[in-house]
Order: sequence, then structure tokens, then C-alpha cells
Amino acid sequence: MTLPDAPQMQIEPPTRSPWRNLSLVWLVPVLALVVSLGIAWKNFADRGTLITITLPTAAGVTAGETTVRYRDVVVGLVEVVRFAPDLTTVLIDARIDKVVADTIPAEAQFWVVSPQVSANGISGLSTVLSGVYIDSAWVAADGSDVREFTGLASMPMVQPGREGVRVTLRSTDGTSLPAGGPIFFRGVEVGTLDQPRVSSGGDSALIDAFIEAPYDKYVTTATRFWDTSGFSVKLGPSGLDLNVGSLGALLRGGVAFDTTFTGGQATTDATVFNLFLDEASARASIFTQIGDSAVPMAVIFAESVNGLEAGAPVEFKGLRVGQVTSISAFIERTPGGNRTVRLRAALDIDPRALGLEGQTGKPEVLAFLRGAVRNGLRARLSTTSLFSAALKIQLAELPDAPTSDIVADADGIPILPSIQSDLPDFTATAEGVLERINALPIEEVMQQAISLMAAIEAVAASEGTQKAPGALVALLDDARALINQDATQALPGELQQTIAELRKVVTDLQEKGAIDTLVSALANVDKLSADLAVATTQVPALVQDFRDLAAKANALNAEDLINSTTKLLQSADAVIGTDAAKALPASLASALAEVQAALKELRDGGVVTNANAAMASAANAADSVARAADDLPQLTSQLDSLVKSANALVSNYGVRSPFSAETLDLLRQINKAAAAVTQLARTIERNPNSLLIGR
Amino acid sequence: MANVGSAQTPPLTARSAGLVACVACGRVHHIGTQVCVRCGAALSSRDTTSLQRVWAWMIAGFVAYIPANIYPMLETTQLGKTTSSNLIGGVIELVGYGSYGVAFIVFFASVVIPLGKFGAITYLALQVARPDPTAAHSRHKMYEVVEFIGRWSMIDVFVVALLSSLVQLGSAVSIQPGIAAVSFALSVAFTMVAAMSFDQRLIWDTDKEPTL
Repeated sequence: MTLPDAPQMQIEPPTRSPWRNLSLVWLVPVLALVVSLGIAWKNFADRGTLITITLPTAAGVTAGETTVRYRDVVVGLVEVVRFAPDLTTVLIDARIDKVVADTIPAEAQFWVVSPQVSANGISGLSTVLSGVYIDSAWVAADGSDVREFTGLASMPMVQPGREGVRVTLRSTDGTSLPAGGPIFFRGVEVGTLDQPRVSSGGDSALIDAFIEAPYDKYVTTATRFWDTSGFSVKLGPSGLDLNVGSLGALLRGGVAFDTTFTGGQATTDATVFNLFLDEASARASIFTQIGDSAVPMAVIFAESVNGLEAGAPVEFKGLRVGQVTSISAFIERTPGGNRTVRLRAALDIDPRALGLEGQTGKPEVLAFLRGAVRNGLRARLSTTSLFSAALKIQLAELPDAPTSDIVADADGIPILPSIQSDLPDFTATAEGVLERINALPIEEVMQQAISLMAAIEAVAASEGTQKAPGALVALLDDARALINQDATQALPGELQQTIAELRKVVTDLQEKGAIDTLVSALANVDKLSADLAVATTQVPALVQDFRDLAAKANALNAEDLINSTTKLLQSADAVIGTDAAKALPASLASALAEVQAALKELRDGGVVTNANAAMASAANAADSVARAADDLPQLTSQLDSLVKSANALVSNYGVRSPFSAETLDLLRQINKAAAAVTQLARTIERNPNSLLIGR
Repeated sequence: MANVGSAQTPPLTARSAGLVACVACGRVHHIGTQVCVRCGAALSSRDTTSLQRVWAWMIAGFVAYIPANIYPMLETTQLGKTTSSNLIGGVIELVGYGSYGVAFIVFFASVVIPLGKFGAITYLALQVARPDPTAAHSRHKMYEVVEFIGRWSMIDVFVVALLSSLVQLGSAVSIQPGIAAVSFALSVAFTMVAAMSFDQRLIWDTDKEPTL
């Protein structure tokens, strides 16, 4: 088979379109371009929203480095730090994550976090190395388009979104209450304090406090706050009271609260609580707050109010119902035309403490008090305690008081009627009691009694007394003889008269004179002895003496007394028996007159009355002693416990006591820790990379 | 074969001799042979798509080089503080620290070399089609240099890879590669491919009339 001579095939190069020549490799740059553009677009599209934060100072904020965080997550970066046009504030432009930025409401808070070392601990330590950052807090609000915010100079105490209650505390001194200080409720930290500030009036320090949920439900208008910082040593009726909170509270300062009675209402932002100095005074006070439902009143006193101070309690039947808000003086013109200074105490009465409803209006309270005043309610001053000179105002019910009423003064403040207090005679203070005990003439009484007994004894035991009847007989004999004498006969009338008087004296003595009185005096002495025996066993000697005296006095019968009188007559006899007497009847007469006068004196008052008076005074003294003695055991035990507490305290603070040693040890440790922290801080400052290389 | 050894005439080339060499194994075939009988590689006397591929890879490399310069190469987290620096920023930073030597090396490896490569390849690709005053020999040398030095641009990427794998000291210091590292690596790879795609035989074709 031969191949046909086929013509040479025309082979033409294929006409290839330029696109056919295009290599697939061109996909590579196109892909690269697309990817690059895609990344660029994504970056641009994901770029955050620019917001502007106004801050007082930039405080270490660096453009391009400082981050903006929300709940410790970085949500943005500072792009520009610039000034406001007037240079008063710093404007910080930060680019915030787009999604986040749309949730920031206008009230969002921004603040610069920087390292802080305080008694509350160290915060923001990470910023030492990483630099400051801007922290923020807000409650997310969808679709927010606010882009300009005002930052805070420091971290806010209460960040938005935290549940709790905010109250304001009023204190006279804010030094012990640092910002960020803790608030304790039954020892548990439940809140924080804000920076103290001076009130608009300048008379007190106000501290905002925030109590976190769920503890905020324990805060009502019935809540009391008190200062737990520092420690206090108080010397009071209950002894020495050393009050130290926790060491943390000692260092940090702090406030505790408790709700002391039920029935309080929910607080509002405007609620102001008084900050008490200690727990005791907080609990003692029933006043919940100033200016809430308290009814202002006033009392006018004519007497001195020395010891009454603003803040002194107003008590009704022992219950605190209000307090003195101020004391002032004014001049009043008396009806006689004289001008006299009167003292006016302004009061706040809490209707709730009176048992009225908290929401009771002022008219109702006044109506209640007006009725009470008609029934004898009066204000009077009274001392607050045995050991204190401080005064309080007592609302006493005196049904027999003259009728009075509440009248309003020129300012419309109702004036409660007052009565003179028994303060000037008030001797129930410790000093008064002791002074009275000291002033009791016990020794004098005893001396007098002893000397009286000695005198009676001497009279009874004396020979003359023993001889008295015989002497009397002899006297009568002599008298008879004298009468029988001529000379005597010459003076019968006078002598007869004298004898008659003598007889009368004796009769008087026998009938009504000394015996009864003496017997009653002796009875008094007996009673006094019994009283003294009952009153105190510390004066047994006195009682014994009195008993002896009584026994001896009882043993002394009327006959002896007559004998004693006889002795007097005997001396009269001696006088009569002398020649001079005989010679001078006039002298006798005067002597007899003297005797008569002496006897009269004896009868009228002399010794017996004096003794009686002494006994009565002793009885009074015994009563006083008895009353005082009732208080003595308690007083003694209180003084005892006081001394013990003082001893314990003193020994605790002794040089080698464990307390002191522990305190010293603790202080040394704190000192060491502080030194170590200082050293660490210096080391880091000098050599920041020491953290990396470990030295 | 008469021209062999003559100094006046251009040297005999395989193409003029009707031969084609396998670029893979070096075996010489007659022109027209499609596939190397020894290694099976496709044979072509001149790679007609070479320039296309050069341009394509080079453009891709250049596109990748832009983000490599814009985006951060390294993200250094030092004690909670993150700093990121791109290529030029890193060089300036090194100069600021006084490390002029290191700064020069980095600058040379990551800026001068890539840009030089782009310039050199562009020049070769543009000049290959037309007679050029530059001697083919020097252009050839240029090509050799470009192909040799191109891989050294990867030194930057290696530094980043080493640093980010070695410096991971927890919160103290840690280094993370940035987007630019990937871009840069891609850019270097693309330009290397571009250089390799260049068929150097094309240089010879313009060398038929030597400029003596």
C-alpha cells in the first residue's frame, strides 16, 4: 500500500488569543491583592469608635500605649492626649471596641488607675510595671451614641452597676475616716467609705458610705453608725473600759453599724446619719437622725444650767426621748421691773421615742405634750449619773404642780414649763455621800456619850452620893436645929421660904423633870444603838458603848438621881453650915438663889436636853449612815472592780506583759514589712529589670 | 559547525544548533522533542510564559510586602505592657538603643534586599526583550546575585520565628509574631519564586550581537 502523495500539510501556528497565553500564575498576585485588601478593609471596618474622655490630669496616660479597660478587659486604646482649649482639662481620645462603644451610656465613669499603697492594701500594683490604664464602669445601654465623657479624678467608691445603698454620715471629725475605709456589720466588711468632705455649713464632716447588697437591707432610718477606728479607754461607773477594734480597723479606720430597733424606714440618698464616737453611745442614742421627724421645743430655766450641754439627753420616765440642741441666754424683764438673765435650752423631741408613730406630725406631738403638761408634766434639770456633773433634762410628772400650759415663744417654738430642780439639795453624788459620811459627828457623839457616862458614873459612884440620904437627914437635923436656934428664929420667914422652894425643886424634879426626859433620851439612845447595829457592823464599838450607856442609865434609878441631887443639897448644906452663912443670911439667900437658878437650869434644858439633842442628832446620823450604807456595798464592789480593771490594764501594759510584748512584736513586724516594701519599691525604681533577672 | 571557535561570530548556542537541553536533568534533545526521555520533564527551548510568571510572582510579592511594612512584625509583651513595632519602627528603635550594627543588618535584610530584588527583577524583566546597552554578562551576574541573595531576606522571618518560640517567659516577656511576619515571609517567598521563574536563557537571546 502506497501512500498517496498527499500534499504537504499547511501547518499554521495557531492563533492564540492573548488571554490564552495568560498564565494561571497571575492568580497569585490577584489573590495576594485581594487578601491584602481584605485584611486592610477588615482592619478599617473593625476599627473602634473614637470617644473623648475629659480628665483633670493625664496622670501617666500615654498615647498609643494606655489601654481602656472594662471589667479588667482591654476594650480600647488611647490614641491622642490633648488639652481642652482653655487648658483646664485634658482630653483623651481613645478608640473603643465598636461593639462596646455602642453600649456606653452618658453616665459612664472613667478614671485612671495608678498604683496606690494605703492601709487598705496595695491596689493597682500591676500598673507599676505596665503603666497606668483607664478603667471604666457603666451599665450597658444598647444603642448609645454618646461619644464624650467626663472622667473622674480617682476611682469612684460606687461603680455603676453595683447593687447597694448609699448613705451619708455626719461626723465632727473626718480624720479617722480615710477614703475607702471599711464598713462593718457584725464584724463583716459590707461596704466602703468615700472621701470625707466638709459640710456646706462647715460645722461637720460628711462622708458618703456605700453598703453593698445584700447587706443594704439592714440599713434603715433606725440604723446607727459608729466609728470603730482607734481605741478608747474609758473610766466610768462600770470600771475601766478598754475598747479596741480589730487591728485592721485600728490601722484603716472604719465604721460599723447596727440597726438597734425595728420600725425604721428605707433610706434615701438624702438620708444623713450621725456618726457616733463609739458603739455604746450609738446604742444609747435613740435619735436616728437630725431634722427628720424631731419636734423642736424649748425649756427656760431660771437656775444655773452648768453641766447641761448640747446633745444632753431629754428623758421621760428614764427613757431618752430627745436631746438638747443648744443652750442660750436671754434677758427677761420681771414684773417688778428688774432684768434677769434666763437660760433657754432648745430641745428636739423624737415622737417615736414617746411611742407615737414615726410619721406623726408636729401638731399631734404638741397636742400630746400639751395634755401631758396639763396633767403635770414639767421639765427639770437632773444629773446624768452618780459620778458625773453633767446634767440632763428630765420630763417629770408632778400631778400636784400648779397648772401650766405649753406656750409658743416669739419664734413659734413651744416652751415646756419648767420647775426648780432639787439640784442644790441634791447630795446623792458620790462626793456628797462621802462628805456627809465624813461630816457625821460620830466621834463627837461618842466623846460626848463617853464623857456623859463618865460623869453619871462619877456622880453615882461618888461617896457624896452614897452619903446623900444621910447628909440630907443631917441637913434636915441641922436645919431643924438651926430653926430652933434663936438666930434662926429671927429669920423664920426667909428660911421657911427657902425650904419651901427647896421642896418645890425636889418635887419638880420628882414629878416631871429629868426622869421622864432622861428615860426617853435613854430610849432614844437604845433606838440609836439598834439603828446603828442595823446600819452597819463597822461601828460595833459605838453600839456597844451605847448599849453600855443605856444599861448604866437604866440601872440608874430615880433614887440615885435624888441622891445626886442630894449632893447638891449637901453642898447647899455646907454653905448653910458655914459661919458666914449663919452670919450672913443674905449670902445664904443668894446662894440658895443660885442653887435655885442652877436647878432651874438643870430642869429647863441643861444637860438632859443637850443629851437628848445629841441623841436625836445621833439618830439622824444613824439614819444617814443607814441610807449611805445601802449604797456602800455596790459602791464598794464598783470601786473594787474598777481597781481590778485598772490593775489589769496597768499590768497588761507592764513592761514585760504579753500584751505589750505582742504589740511590740507586731509593730516590729509591721515596721519590717514596711521597710521591706520600701526597699522593694526602691529596688524596682532603680533597676526595673531586676524583676526579670531576679536580682 | 564552521563557526565554532570563531571569535567574531556569536558562540554557537544549543538553540541555533537545533538542540534543547532538559533543565531538570541536563540531557540534550533535538528541538521538537516534547518530553525528556530521561526524566520526563517538559522540554522547551525558551519558556514563553517565564516573563508572565516573573511579573505575576513579583507583583504578588510586592503586594505582600506592603502590609509587611505597615503591620507590626513583633508584638512584645513586657511585664504586661504590649508594644508592637513594624519593620521601620523596629529599625528606628534599634538605632535609638544605639545598636547600629543590628539596625543595619535588619534594615539591610528586610528593606534594602527586598526592594533591591524588586528593582533588579523588574529591570531584568523589562530589559530581557530588547537589546540593552548593559552586557548580557553583567545582567546574568545580576540575576545570579538576586537569586542567591533573595533567600537571605528570610533571615528576618527566622529571627521572628526564633524569638517568638524562645522568648515565652510568661508574663515577664513574651513575643508574638505579627501579621507583618507572615506577609514578609510570603513576600520573600513570592520574590524568590519570581526570580526562579525567570528563564535566564532569555538573556542570551539578546546577546546575539555583542556590543564590543
